[in-house]
Amino acid sequence: MQKFQFYTPRSVDDALAFLSHNAEQTKIIAGGTDLIPSLRQEDLQPAFVLNILEIGALRGITEQDHRIRIRPTTTFTEMVESPVLNRHFPSLVQAAAFVGGPQIRNRGTIGGNIGTASPAADVLPAVLALDGELELQSKRSGTRYIPLSRAIAAPYKPLFQPDEILTGIILPKLNPEARSTFVKVGRRNAMARARMNLAVVLGMNREKVITEMRIVPGAVMPVARRMERAEGALLGKKPEPPVVDAAAEALAKEMVEVTGTRWSTEYKFHVLQNLFKGVLGRLTA
Amino acid sequence: MPIERQENLLRMKVNGRAVEVQVDPTWTLLRVLREKLGLTGTKKGCEQGDCGACTILLEGKAVNACLVMALQAEGKEIETIEGLGTPDRLHPLQKSFIRHGAVQCGFCTPGMLMSAVALLRKNSDPSAEEIKRSISGNLCRCTGYAKIVRAIQNVSDFQEERGHATGD
Amino acid sequence: MKRRGIGIGSMFYGLGYGFSREDISSATIEICEDGSVIVRSGEVDYGQGSDTILCQIASEELGIRYDTIQMITADTFTTPNAGPTSASRVTYVTGMAMLKAAQAMKKTLRYVAEQMLGQKDLLFGDEKVYSMSHPQKCITFKALAKEAHLRGAPMVETAWHDITTKDVDPETAQGDAYSAYAYATQLAEVEVDTDTGKVEVLRMISATDVGKAINPLNVEGQIEGGMAMGLGYALTEEIKQEGGYLKTHNLGEYMVPTSLDVPSIETHIVEVPLPSGPYGAKGVGEPALIPTAPAILNAIANALDVRVTELPANLENLHRLIREKEKGKTG
Repeated sequence: MQKFQFYTPRSVDDALAFLSHNAEQTKIIAGGTDLIPSLRQEDLQPAFVLNILEIGALRGITEQDHRIRIRPTTTFTEMVESPVLNRHFPSLVQAAAFVGGPQIRNRGTIGGNIGTASPAADVLPAVLALDGELELQSKRSGTRYIPLSRAIAAPYKPLFQPDEILTGIILPKLNPEARSTFVKVGRRNAMARARMNLAVVLGMNREKVITEMRIVPGAVMPVARRMERAEGALLGKKPEPPVVDAAAEALAKEMVEVTGTRWSTEYKFHVLQNLFKGVLGRLTA
Repeated sequence: MPIERQENLLRMKVNGRAVEVQVDPTWTLLRVLREKLGLTGTKKGCEQGDCGACTILLEGKAVNACLVMALQAEGKEIETIEGLGTPDRLHPLQKSFIRHGAVQCGFCTPGMLMSAVALLRKNSDPSAEEIKRSISGNLCRCTGYAKIVRAIQNVSDFQEERGHATGD
Repeated sequence: MKRRGIGIGSMFYGLGYGFSREDISSATIEICEDGSVIVRSGEVDYGQGSDTILCQIASEELGIRYDTIQMITADTFTTPNAGPTSASRVTYVTGMAMLKAAQAMKKTLRYVAEQMLGQKDLLFGDEKVYSMSHPQKCITFKALAKEAHLRGAPMVETAWHDITTKDVDPETAQGDAYSAYAYATQLAEVEVDTDTGKVEVLRMISATDVGKAINPLNVEGQIEGGMAMGLGYALTEEIKQEGGYLKTHNLGEYMVPTSLDVPSIETHIVEVPLPSGPYGAKGVGEPALIPTAPAILNAIANALDVRVTELPANLENLHRLIREKEKGKTG
C-alpha cells in the first residue's frame, strides 16, 4: 500500500471537520471489506484514511412512527439480527444475510455497500426497492437528503461530495398490505458475488389487486434501479399468470435496453424472468 | 484538533494481555499479529477476505484479520488461535479436531477453530447446518469439511476458561 | 422448477507413474541403543498423513508403539530418495520400502533374540519379543535393542522398492501400463433449479477399494476431500485466461466449494488386498477425486435428460443446455 496517515475521529463533527480540509485526498473506512483490497492493489492511493467505526452516532437502527433509520456503520450481522428489520423489512435482512460469509458480515456495513456502489451489491437493490433515502452531511453545506434512486451516477460512483459523510439511511415503513422479499443467485452457497439478485415490494388489497409494485433487479445492470415499465404492467391488476408473464418479459426487455446484448445477456434475460415469476408466485400465494 | 494524534501507537488486548506496538498505518491487523507480535498461528491466505485463513475474534466476533486496519484495533480485544490452547493444554475443540481427523494440511485449521469458538459461545449445541454456516467463510481444500463439522458438533466439555488462555 | 436426479461414476486408476517411467522409493529404519526408533523417508507429509502411515508400518512390523518412533522426512540432507510425493504412490511404493526395511531390521533382531532366548518361534508384539510356545521366554524390545547394539549387529536398514513397469506395446496397446490399479465408484444425488441453472448436490456416497486401509480415518479424510474437490471441478471451478493473463487469479474469482456447498458424504472403504502393497494397501489420493464429477454429471443427466460435455456445469452453461432442450421440445 502507498503510504497514508490514519485517523480515527470520535464524533461526526470531528470527522466532518477533518474532511472540510482534506476531502480530496481522504478515503473513509468503515468495515473495510471493499476498501482494504483496493488499497492493497493500489487502485486507490489516498493520503489519509479516515476510520469512522468509532463514531457511535453512526451506528444502530432506530424505529420511528413511519420510518426506520439505519445508521451507516451498522454491520450486515447487526441487520440480520435486528428485530426491527426482521419485522418490517425481511428483504433487507435476506439481502444482508447473503453477503459473503460470517466474517465479512461481521465487518461489512450498509453504508459501505451503498457507498461502494458495486453493480453486484446485494443490500443496495433492497434499499432501492424500499424507497430508501440517504442523509449526507458536510461541514460546508450541512445536511442534505437524496433518494438512493438518484444517488448513484455509475458503477462505483455515488454522488457524494468528497467532504460528505453518509450519516443515515431512511426507509419509510411499508403499508400493512405490502411485503418485501429478496432473492439472490450465486455460483456457490456462500462467499459468492450475486450473479443476479432481485428485490421486490408487493402490496395487494383484499380483492387481490396489486396496489404496490416495486422491482429492483441487481447485478444485471451497471446501476440498479426501479424497473418502472414492468411495475406499471402489474400495478392495478391482479397477478394472474398471463399478466405476470407479460410483466416478467417486459422486465427482462427493459434490462436489455440498458445493458445491450453481451455474452451474459441470454442467461440474464431468461433467468431474471424466472426469478421474478418465482418471487411473485411466493408473494401472492 | 480533536482527531487522535498521528502517533501510530496501537494499544490493544491480545489473548488477554495488554499490548502496545508502533505500527505502520498501512498495515493490517493480520500483518501486525504475524510480523510484530510473532503470532503466526493466524494464517495469511488470500489477504482479501476470501478464504478465512486469517480469522480471529475481534470483540468476540469472527472477522478476517486481513480486512481490519491495524489502527482499527485500537482499544479492542483480540483473540487468536494462540489464546485458545497450548500444546501442553489443548482446548477441547482442538482435541476434538485431532480425535476426528479434522486436520490435514492444517492451514485452514486456526481460522476454522476461531469461527467454531464464536459459534459455540453463542450456541452450545448447534446443528450440522448451523455449523456449516458458521464456517462458510473458511475455505478448506483438504477435508471436504466433513470431519471439521463432526469435530465441532461432537466437542465435549466446551467451556471457556478465560484465565488459562493467556498461558499464565 | 426443481428437478432431482441420481448418477453414478466409476473409475479405475493406475498408481504410480507407469509406462516404464522410473518409479522407485526407499526408506531407512534405525534402532537406537535405548530402543527408540528413527525412520527416514524422502516423502513429504503435507497433511495427507504419509508420516503416519510409514510410522504405522514400522510400528506394526516391529510390534512397538508409535510414539517410540521418530519420523524424519523430506530432509534432503538425511533422508533417502523416495521419489516424488505424488501419483497416489506413497503408501504403495514408499510404504513397501518401509515394510521391507522394517522386515530386514526385524530379521537382524530376531537372530539376536533367538540366541538370547534359545527359541526359534519368536513373535514381535506389545513392545517385546516372545516365544509362541513358551511366552515366558521373552525380552523387551528395548533390552533387545541394547543387546543387539552390544553384539555389533547392524542397526540401520535401508530398503528400496521398485514398481517400474515394462511398458505397453505401442502397436498392440497390450502390456504393463501400471503395476497396480485403484477402483472406486461414487454416487451423487442432485437437485437442479431449472429456473437458474444452479445445481445443489444433496448427497454423495463413495465406495473405494484401497486394498487395505492402514489408517481408516485418514483414508476417509482423503476421500471426503477429494469428493469436495470433484464437486468444485464439476460445478464451479474454472480457469479463465484473456490475452495471456489469468482472469481467475484469486480465491474470489476461482470458486472452490464452501462448507455450504458440500453435502453429507458417506464413505465405504473396500479392502481387496493388493499382494504387492504393504499389508495389501494401495493409494487413494487421486482415486478419491476421479469419479465425482462423472457421478454429478450423470445425476444432472438423470434429472434433466441433458448431457453436460463442458466443465464446469455452471449457471450459464447448464441453463443454456436446459433452454436448448426446451426449444427442442416445443420447437
